[in-house]
Amino acid sequence: MERSFWNPYVAGIFLGLVLLASYLLLGHGLGASGAAYRVGVAGLNTLASGHVAANPQMASTVAGGALDHWILLMALGAGLGGLFSAYTSGRFKVQIIRGPHATIATRLIFALSGGMIMGAAARLTRGCTSGQALSGGALMSLHSWIFMLAVFAGGYALAWFIRRQWI
Amino acid sequence: MIPEFGGSQWGYIVTLLIGFGFGFVLEKAGFGRATKLAAQFYLRDMTVLKVMFTAIVTAMVGAVLVDQIGLIDLRRLSEGAVTETFIWPALIGGFALGMGFIISGYCPGTSMVATSSGHIDGLMTVLGVVLGALLYTEGAEAMASFHTSGAKGFVFLYDSGIPAPVLAALIVAMAFGAFILAEKVEAMMRARAANPEPEPAPAQRHTSRMALGTILSMGILALGTLALPGGAPKAKQGDPAVVSPIGLDAFSHRLMEQPWTMRVLDLRPREACAKQRVPGAECAPLEALKDLGLGAAPAGGPALVLIGEGALEAAPEAARVYKGEVHLLEGGWAGWAGYALKAPEPLTAEASPQAREAYAWRATLNSAMTGRKAAPPPAAPTKKFTPKKKKKGGGCG
Repeated sequence: MERSFWNPYVAGIFLGLVLLASYLLLGHGLGASGAAYRVGVAGLNTLASGHVAANPQMASTVAGGALDHWILLMALGAGLGGLFSAYTSGRFKVQIIRGPHATIATRLIFALSGGMIMGAAARLTRGCTSGQALSGGALMSLHSWIFMLAVFAGGYALAWFIRRQWI
Repeated sequence: MIPEFGGSQWGYIVTLLIGFGFGFVLEKAGFGRATKLAAQFYLRDMTVLKVMFTAIVTAMVGAVLVDQIGLIDLRRLSEGAVTETFIWPALIGGFALGMGFIISGYCPGTSMVATSSGHIDGLMTVLGVVLGALLYTEGAEAMASFHTSGAKGFVFLYDSGIPAPVLAALIVAMAFGAFILAEKVEAMMRARAANPEPEPAPAQRHTSRMALGTILSMGILALGTLALPGGAPKAKQGDPAVVSPIGLDAFSHRLMEQPWTMRVLDLRPREACAKQRVPGAECAPLEALKDLGLGAAPAGGPALVLIGEGALEAAPEAARVYKGEVHLLEGGWAGWAGYALKAPEPLTAEASPQAREAYAWRATLNSAMTGRKAAPPPAAPTKKFTPKKKKKGGGCG
């Protein structure tokens, strides 16, 4: 039997406490997109190390140890925490989440292309909704607040045009 | 890059546990499901806004509180935890990321949780994020000038002059207003929609009221912290260096044991410095100090230790721009000469263990600095020594 989700405000308070613990115990906030970048660079490095060496940014990531970074452990933890919660709530299920009118093919194409836009954008903004909006927002960083408002603006601006995907 | 926690494995475990909590709560909130996240942008389910702003105000009030108690320095913590401000990348990149969010139905963090909940669309988004990050980095050189446009350094909302606790309370009030509005919008959309979201159960509404009350009290708590003394003096914007004195004992230990953690600058006139100086020190007379470009050195470098003729009153401007610790050696060169270059006074037999230890260290230091053979250790005490607890209030225990 699938259990219901937590009350959003209660979930928010717990998420805030996790974030606060991260600041105080680790000295930094939460993060996700950095892990994707690092895994990508490490993967590319095994496939085409010459190519990685030619790109100064990737080369410096590899030189510092692409996978030797807290964000990978955190992402691993987040995956495990998500799995544990989904499994114990009866929500773990291999499936494709999509709107009532979206086809499987378009859903997967949208998921991939939206991910690509976010991956590139998160490099530009030096962090995604976790590392910037949440972690920087709570520390009142100007960058993070501009970013957060822009994320909502971008989402609302495009939502109407692709409403067939979701509603 | 992972905190060491005194050389133990705790840093790894704590990082993993915090990540676990992060993913756990995201899944519990329903963020493993693209349809729930996307509904935010169709005003049907404002869970994203509610969870996100509640988390922000909770962590924010917590951070302000520990800052006001004096446990941490908010600005120091923040400069280590967040990035500098780049106006245009934040604005344009944020807008693009928002579009990616509504296209994919996830943000990078929630796509990981979706993947571990078994959702194939989440996995596709994760792959997309990896590819997008690589593609951006491929074109990094073309993007270089835009990537750093609108650079403002570290800017926090409290740099406006409004104290952090007041701002925190204002943000709490703003979030509270947004939540009330979100509830109203959801109710309105339920009334209008052909396939409405289910009405929240009475128990849910009760929980919401309790949680909203908690959030409001956080705002009051944030304001209340203004009454606290505020702990240590706060760092200010444009005041990157924290200048503090360093004692001769601490300095000499660091010099002998971890010299690579310091950059020692001798500010005395060049002739005096050339004649004799602390090992490893650079001769940087006051007039030559600005040529070192200390302000341009990247953050996270070694601590700067400044040695004057005697005790320095304040760090010169050219050193204050350094992005790291700046220490003034207590007593300056005169203090150092008296401490390290002169043989320590011999001990008497009644000397305390602390005095013995200090003597041993100074003798070692003196012999290392002057090349003199260390003095023989003082005669062992004849009486069996029983350490006494130091009484409060001074006096000879």
